[in-house]
Amino acid sequence: MLTIVARAVIIYLVVLFLYRLMGKRQLGEMQPFELVLTLIIADLATIPMAEISVPVLHGIVPLLTLVLVHFILTLLCKVSTKFSQFVSGKPVIVVNPNGIDYKALKNLNLSIDDVMEAIRGAGYFKLEQVQYAIMETNGKMSVFPKSEFSPVTNGDMKIKTEKSALPINLVSEGKIIKDNLKIAKVDENYITKILEKANIKRVKDCLVLTVDKGGAVFVQAFNKAYQTFNVEPLGQVQE
Amino acid sequence: MTKFMWFQLISIIVVLGVLVTICVVEDKLVTESLNNVADYCYKIESAIKENDGIKNEDVSNLVFNLEYDWLKDEGNLCFLVNHKSIQEIGVEVSKLKTYIEENDIKEFSVSLELIKLYAEQYFHFMGASFHNIL
Repeated sequence: MLTIVARAVIIYLVVLFLYRLMGKRQLGEMQPFELVLTLIIADLATIPMAEISVPVLHGIVPLLTLVLVHFILTLLCKVSTKFSQFVSGKPVIVVNPNGIDYKALKNLNLSIDDVMEAIRGAGYFKLEQVQYAIMETNGKMSVFPKSEFSPVTNGDMKIKTEKSALPINLVSEGKIIKDNLKIAKVDENYITKILEKANIKRVKDCLVLTVDKGGAVFVQAFNKAYQTFNVEPLGQVQE
Repeated sequence: MTKFMWFQLISIIVVLGVLVTICVVEDKLVTESLNNVADYCYKIESAIKENDGIKNEDVSNLVFNLEYDWLKDEGNLCFLVNHKSIQEIGVEVSKLKTYIEENDIKEFSVSLELIKLYAEQYFHFMGASFHNIL
C-alpha cells in the first residue's frame, strides 16, 4: 500500500507540473488536439498508479513525450496559420443575415436544436435576433445580435461614467496581503485606520477588506455583517 | 520573452533531456544485461563439455555468478520495464542450482536453453526496434 501511495503522489505531482507547463488553456476551452492530450494523460496516469509491477517511468515517459509533442504542435500552430487550421479547424459561420446556413451545419454535424440551444445560451430566444452565429474551434458558439437587439450601453446613451477600478484585496481571512499593499501603494497604517473606522480591533478579526481606487471600502469581520464606506482615495493605484 | 515563456523553454529542454537519457540508459542496460546472460549460458555450456558433467566447481561458480549478476541487472531493469515480464530468467536460474545438486543434466540443459531463449525474447520486446514501435 505504501508503494501505491508513493506512486500516486509522484504521478500526481508530475501531472500537476505538466498541466502547469501547458498553461491555463488546458483547464478551460480546449482545441481538439488539447482535448485528445487531456484524455490520454488521464488514462496514462492511472496505469502505473494502480499496477505495482509497471514501473512509474512507464507512465511518466509517455506523459513527457505527449507534452513535448503538444509543445511542438502549439509552436507549429503559432508559426503557420494553415497548420493551425488543419489541427484545430477554423471558425464557421452557421447563422448569417440570411438565416441558418444548413450546409455549414451539416458539415459540422450540428442540428438546428444545437444552434437554438447555443443562441439561447447567449441570451437570445429568437433566431431573428441574431445577425451572426459562429462556431468557434473550441466548440463554443459566439452569437452576434442584430443592432436592434443588442444591449444598450452607457456609450450608446452617451452617459459619462467614471473609469471603473478593480477593488484591491488588502486583508483576507485575518491576514494582510503584502503584495497588494505594494500595488495599492499604502502601508499597514492605512489598513489600521480603516479597521478603526469599521470598529474592528485587530487585523486577525477581519475576514475581508477591499478598497478600490476611489476609496470605496468593503470590510467584513468574522461572523459579522459587512460594512461599506468611503475613505481617502488610493490615488496612485496601479491598474 | 516573459518569465513563463522562459520557464516553458527550460522545462521543454529538461523534458527532452530526460527522455533522451532514459532511452539511452534503457537501451544500454537492456543490451548489456541480456548479452551478459547469454555469455554466461555459453560459458556454462563450455564448462559442462570441459568437465564432462554439471556437478563440478566451474559450473557451480558460473551459475552462482549468473544468478548474482542477473539479480543485480533485474533490479535495475525493473525501473524501466514491467518486472512481471522479466521474471522467467530468475526462475530458471534458481532451477539450475537444484539440477546441479541432483546432477540432472537433462533438465539442466533444458533450463539453460530456456534462459537463452528468454534472453533473446526479452531483447525483442525491450530493445528499440521497428517491430516494437508498430
